[in-house]
Amino acid sequence: MKKRSIFLSISLALMILLSACAKPASPTDQAPVAGTDEQVLLVWDQFYRDEESKVIETLNAEFEAAHPGVRIQREVKVLADLQTTVKLALANADGPDVAQVNQGRNDMGALVEAGLLLPLNSYLEKYDWGTVFSTSVASRNSFTEDGKTFGTGNLYGVSPTAEVVGVFYNKDLFKKNGWDIPTTFEGFETLLAEIRAADITPISFGSLDGWNAIHEFSAIQHLLVSLDYINNLTYGVNNVSFDIPENRQAAQILQDWTNAGYFSDGFPGIGYDDSNNLFKAGNGAMTITGSWLAPELMVDTDQEFGFFLLPPYEGKTGMAIGGVGIPFAIRKTSEKHDIAAEYLNWMISPRAAELWAEAGMLPAMALPEGSNIDTKNLFGDTLNAWNTINQGNAVGHYIDWATPTFYDILVAELQKLLGGISTPANFTEAVEADYGAYLQSKSE
Amino acid sequence: MANVTNKYPGESRWKGWWYLLPALLVYLLFTFLPILETIRSSFYQWDGFSQNKTWIGIANYVELFSDPKFHNALGNNLIFVIFYSIIPIMIGLFLASLLSRRPIPGFAFFRTALFLPQVISMVVVGVIWRWMFNPTFGPINTFLRQIGLDVFAISWLGDFTWALPAVGGIGTWVQYGFCMVLFLAGMQHIQDEYYEAASLDGANAFRQFIHITVPGLRSEIAVALVTTIIAALRVFDLVYTTTRGGPGESTMVTGFLIYRAAFTNNRIGYAAAIATVLTLIILIISLFIRRFQQQGIEESA
Amino acid sequence: MKYPWKKLLPRYLILVVFMLVVLVPIWGMFTSAFKTSTEVMEGPFSLPSDWSLENFEQAWRVGRFNVFFKNSVIVATAVVISSVFLSTLSGYAFGALPLPGKNWLYPLMLIGYMVPFEAVIIPLYNLMDTIGITDTLWALILPQVGLSVSFGTMWMSSFFENTPRELTDAATIDGCSRWQTLWYILWPIAKPAVTTLVVLIFMWTWNEFLLALVLVQNEALRTLPVGLAFFQGKYTANIPLMAAGAIIVALPTILIYILFQRFFIRGMLGGAVKG
Repeated sequence: MKKRSIFLSISLALMILLSACAKPASPTDQAPVAGTDEQVLLVWDQFYRDEESKVIETLNAEFEAAHPGVRIQREVKVLADLQTTVKLALANADGPDVAQVNQGRNDMGALVEAGLLLPLNSYLEKYDWGTVFSTSVASRNSFTEDGKTFGTGNLYGVSPTAEVVGVFYNKDLFKKNGWDIPTTFEGFETLLAEIRAADITPISFGSLDGWNAIHEFSAIQHLLVSLDYINNLTYGVNNVSFDIPENRQAAQILQDWTNAGYFSDGFPGIGYDDSNNLFKAGNGAMTITGSWLAPELMVDTDQEFGFFLLPPYEGKTGMAIGGVGIPFAIRKTSEKHDIAAEYLNWMISPRAAELWAEAGMLPAMALPEGSNIDTKNLFGDTLNAWNTINQGNAVGHYIDWATPTFYDILVAELQKLLGGISTPANFTEAVEADYGAYLQSKSE
Repeated sequence: MANVTNKYPGESRWKGWWYLLPALLVYLLFTFLPILETIRSSFYQWDGFSQNKTWIGIANYVELFSDPKFHNALGNNLIFVIFYSIIPIMIGLFLASLLSRRPIPGFAFFRTALFLPQVISMVVVGVIWRWMFNPTFGPINTFLRQIGLDVFAISWLGDFTWALPAVGGIGTWVQYGFCMVLFLAGMQHIQDEYYEAASLDGANAFRQFIHITVPGLRSEIAVALVTTIIAALRVFDLVYTTTRGGPGESTMVTGFLIYRAAFTNNRIGYAAAIATVLTLIILIISLFIRRFQQQGIEESA
Repeated sequence: MKYPWKKLLPRYLILVVFMLVVLVPIWGMFTSAFKTSTEVMEGPFSLPSDWSLENFEQAWRVGRFNVFFKNSVIVATAVVISSVFLSTLSGYAFGALPLPGKNWLYPLMLIGYMVPFEAVIIPLYNLMDTIGITDTLWALILPQVGLSVSFGTMWMSSFFENTPRELTDAATIDGCSRWQTLWYILWPIAKPAVTTLVVLIFMWTWNEFLLALVLVQNEALRTLPVGLAFFQGKYTANIPLMAAGAIIVALPTILIYILFQRFFIRGMLGGAVKG
């Protein structure tokens, strides 16, 4: 009797646990249907904005139609969310087969070092990707096998989209006030003062989320330094310093703009998407960000927008932050390498280029001959800008890839700079402290 | 736990173990062993996903104690103690003393309403207040502009001076109703005779409050201190949904530092070291306050 | 009874001010959920022109709150049922049964009730990975049962300690086994203590954020608070939609609080310190 009561208590506990939890397994629905050998390809991407998401949905549906027996299970994440979760997930045996992995040391570098990403060199040959993108594009998705050196070695990802950071402007406001697109940086600063004098916010901006402040700073920085410097800084070679007069000057300009009231009122408390929505609603004449915003600005608005590159200093040549978007990579421990590679190839196909272009997003691939894409619009502006820097060998970098902690330090220090509690010299010194320490640890 | 044995004649002295075992196993596996594992990890260097896990002794702790980011985060946690604990307890005492001694119509309604923020998810609280504080369309600045105080309509969560008090103020908002309800319950046990005697001695309301109410609430104040201080030390959800530690590092707290070290900087060992230190601090503070509370009970007995 | 209104008035004013501070933000968020985007810009405290549920529908379907809601219900139900059951048994062991080692077992359980989740989150992730249940709701249920039985054991053991011994003694004389005594004699009078435990564990589980953020990566398995946090990342500027999402998350705990207020307050005042 006594023993039975114990047995009962344990089995009851188990029963309750099991019955309460009988359902949880079902929401994943990962089990393949019995009797068919359907393959499920788990894909993580970060194309969460509506217009981007539609492109991926279309491509996925067409992929499934062309590959009977393969089903795509898609997982969409915001970039910051993807970055924090994808590393652990790729180490997991049930992790995504294909995932977008941000370039840079903290993400792709760390994953390569841990041996979690599949080198794509054999597929590069098989699918002849050399004709789809140039070696300079490929190097942006390459690491040496130990994950230590960025920019050379194996190819670990393919990017479907291209990006260039520049200036979006409100065409209606420009037309109404008789403003023209400036051709020099001096002219740009004069324009800022004019817009301010007209009591309009010159640059719609919000630094609450932090990361886009890096683009504001670095866009100006790109006009002051050389491409070699940016390459060296980003790839961590040739021992360059961050504490140089050009960077200090860029920081100074950013702080001057803040003091002159060129940014949105209360910008430190406004998030990135909030500031874009304000801009889209007609608040602010311009905003400095990447071409990825174009699709959103082409729908659901009564305003018309254009795009231009931040113009170079009088007599100098320009350069802009740009490159290819976040690449798709394959988990090394996945058992579906071939079908995953087939998916990657699908994502950089001419059809993908066409769909991205229709949505207003710059494709990393050339548009197919004879495609009927309207380029007399905002998309056309970004395409021109991209072609300009590509042909002029003036494609810069996202500097936050430079060290594993560069992103955190840049965000924190830029917020201080913008908040007026540090000087440009404090800023470059603080960032150099992080950068120098990284270079040193690398050489040890 | 007195020394009474609960054993009946003829019963196995291990009887209790059979009843304890299922809970104990689940607890050990999913709570206690992970705590030990965290302590162990804090002596290693590990990125969390690769095979390279290196023993580095106390290096993580050495780095931690000289890391200005950790000092800053811990300092912010201590400032949060003022907002999560000290201010709510004072408001709670004040409100409770207003409500307690004389019945007031609508008492139950006030109590229900003031306690409400306690039951709402901190993520929801963060969403509500991120909207409240929005510099362009948030209610606070809209209101300030309407009454002509445009100069105070600043960007609260993005301001180096104001972000920390703003996030702290959310904590005050969450906690003061809880403190009030706690003290109200305690006041029911203070006998009216004390107040009557004090009134006869000519003590005014304030003196009665200091000499009768506060000592009488000793154990409730201790409970309020433990609860709210621990909340202030472990704050994570709120910072995650409002500022993510910004601007600069001005609202960075240890909880978020652990999250960032572990999941964006790939430094599991270092994150484990911070977590271990934070846990120790919390354990010491709660044991200290419990001791103080028990002393109070013994003295008054 | 006649109230001395004049003397009460200053107190009322103070109380009303502090109450408005609590209620106004919640009310503002509530009304926003029924507005259109343009109405929100007109002013935070204007009333919506039309109490339409459109935003809720959109959050429910497009924001996938239907999925998150289902997950939250499954997780909370499983955690509440299993931890209340296990805590009743273990609390009984501590409070009424012979238990050698009680003196060191009690502090051992107490630790779990004081540690922050941050201290266990990383090993938990690896543990879930090892036993292969990451990306199932088990990964959320099992750790939270472990964390809840710590508090639950304390709570139930103090109940069993305070029940009169005569009751159990009498039951034993009548021939009840310990097991029968627990379920037929003690369980019926334990209702208030159990109800309190149920509502507290429900609220903690429902609102839990960090574990749910880290232990589950699959979007289809997210719980409401995590779903809302990511929703905020995507739709930060769409206040009506955000507000609708926030209300979906908050409403169940608010309703349960209003229905079981007595138990809630008693539990939280009983020194219920938990993360």
